[in-house]
Amino acid sequence: MNASRLWTIARLDLTQRIRTVSWYVMLGVFALVLVATTALSFLSFSSQEDSGSGVYSVVVLITLLLVVLVSPTLSGNSINGDRDAATLASLQVTQATTTEIVLGKFLAAWLTGLTFAAVAVPFLFVATFGGGVRPITVVVSTVVLIVETGVVAALGTAISGVLARPLFSVAATYLVVAALTLGTPIAFALIGTGITSERVEHYQSAVYDEVTGAPECKDGTTACIDNPAEQVCRDDDQTSTYSVPRFDYVWWILAANPFVILADATPSGFDAQGYPEDLFGQTRYALRQAQIAPDLEVFYSECDTTPSGPSPQEVLDSTVPSWFVGLGGQVLLAGLLMWWAIVRTATPARRLPPGTRIA
Amino acid sequence: MTTAGIVAEGVRRSFGDVHAVRGVTFQAPEGAVTGLVGPNGAGKTTLLLMLASLLAPDAGTIRIGGVDPIAEPAAARAKLGWMPDSLGAWPSLSARETIAVTGRLSGLSRDAAAARAAELLTTVGLETLGDAPARVLSRGQKQRLGLARALVHDPRVLLLDEPASGLDPQARIDLRLLLRALAAEGRTVLVSSHILSELEEVVDDAVFMVQGETVSSERVAEAAGRARTWRVRLADRDAVAAALPVAQTLGLDVATVPVDRRDVLLSFEGETAAAAGLAALVAAGLPVAEFSAASGILEHTFLDLEGGAR
Repeated sequence: MNASRLWTIARLDLTQRIRTVSWYVMLGVFALVLVATTALSFLSFSSQEDSGSGVYSVVVLITLLLVVLVSPTLSGNSINGDRDAATLASLQVTQATTTEIVLGKFLAAWLTGLTFAAVAVPFLFVATFGGGVRPITVVVSTVVLIVETGVVAALGTAISGVLARPLFSVAATYLVVAALTLGTPIAFALIGTGITSERVEHYQSAVYDEVTGAPECKDGTTACIDNPAEQVCRDDDQTSTYSVPRFDYVWWILAANPFVILADATPSGFDAQGYPEDLFGQTRYALRQAQIAPDLEVFYSECDTTPSGPSPQEVLDSTVPSWFVGLGGQVLLAGLLMWWAIVRTATPARRLPPGTRIA
Repeated sequence: MTTAGIVAEGVRRSFGDVHAVRGVTFQAPEGAVTGLVGPNGAGKTTLLLMLASLLAPDAGTIRIGGVDPIAEPAAARAKLGWMPDSLGAWPSLSARETIAVTGRLSGLSRDAAAARAAELLTTVGLETLGDAPARVLSRGQKQRLGLARALVHDPRVLLLDEPASGLDPQARIDLRLLLRALAAEGRTVLVSSHILSELEEVVDDAVFMVQGETVSSERVAEAAGRARTWRVRLADRDAVAAALPVAQTLGLDVATVPVDRRDVLLSFEGETAAAAGLAALVAAGLPVAEFSAASGILEHTFLDLEGGAR
């Protein structure tokens, strides 16, 4: 492994990319999308006192979305496309090793993806004008964004080394990325709603005056309509059973989702009502709620005054973060595929994929 | 006694059911240009890929400057320069950058790679096009760029696949001189080509490949020794008028002596017989203006071998 050769190969790919017009067109379109997104999120979060953190989270998530959408096209044919153009062999006969070639191409794809993230920087800066953006949020979300960009770039580069045809490898990269981003919530929803448990609900209703319809009060008056504690309740329960989905069995599927990883990893604050103030926190709250097993026997009473359910803060405190498991799994998957790509690209080649040529 | 820059013994390679190379054994000596001749599909390119350390043979041994390219590809690559039949050029890079990048990857420093690129652009005659992107180069110019790239790390062994294709006549002469100069420096040069007349003028020796196998030297000698055609032209009359006196002088039936444009075609068993025939014509007082082999020895052998293979 030689750093100068690695960088020469990465720069070779980057140079070719920045000398094409379509590259600048793509960056321009990307910037336009971000202009629209930033403007709309300022409108959407304008009711909040500090709208900055909300806008910031939206821009980061949109940036991740666009990087995930664009990256497979940039990296998904980097190795087999070079083989088709007969330029791969030109690298292979030099002193550059297969590992250097594959990693150099990965590095180029990663840096290309990060260029898109760099276009988002001015918009993130504008978002901080809204106020309330915490430095730790910026640092963590940036690091996760950079790593996720790398994961997608690695997947594309590796698949282009494993599969022979550029068209198939780009499609396969999109399928893997789609499995992570769209497949995980679909699997989560389908499997979670497929597994159900019986829930028994006991319902104790208040006693109502047959004429007026007002609740009867313990002190005999009718002035307790706003005060459940003073109402008279029936002695018998109304019992009903129904099935509830068991998302607590399948919540971990979502841990592999890049957006969930980004949201789960990034710390965020709460607003005055105790709810998460940005999209990271809201996504994390939804994910963590799924971890909690549903109560299979619940009691409701119209005379009960205790508030129902834990607060978002309590939910987050009582559940476990999963982003490092998901991110670790993604890095492991990308690493294994990269290793496979290196084995498949090694020269002198013993086995060639059918229909391919070396030069 | 010259040492061999390339040694191949019993090399075989198949792709599934296609036996591209079925048995190649030859040596290419240092300080010489060796031709690799064979019809389309004879396995020349596959063989060159194996020699260039890109493809592993199914069986057999290869040595490039004494190094096994399968066991030690890096050491072999330091010794060999490979020029593919079609240059895979990075389209948006200039010729200068293409050579410099290859130099960097072959271990040259940034300055050394830049200096080497400038030097090689002059060597292959691309100095005026050095900064144009590779995609605007013509086929012949790309061939020259490919040759420059193969030479960037000053290799001892050169493997050139169809280097002359697409070159104009002047560039072919330049290429011939360059290959002779490289061989004169003690390098091993292996050139595959279809243009046999071109190859004839540059190679010291040739390896013939038919259907994935190298042809034994006995078989080559036999083919080369078979009757060849010579062209004869007389200065004072056209071919039809010349046929009769020529046939009479050599004791041939004029009906068996074919005529092709300005020339009378004669068949001789080898060069000694041809020389004797010429002496007889001159002795008979015929004004012989031209007396030459109709086909080069390579072409003749090639056609004979290919005919035998069918």
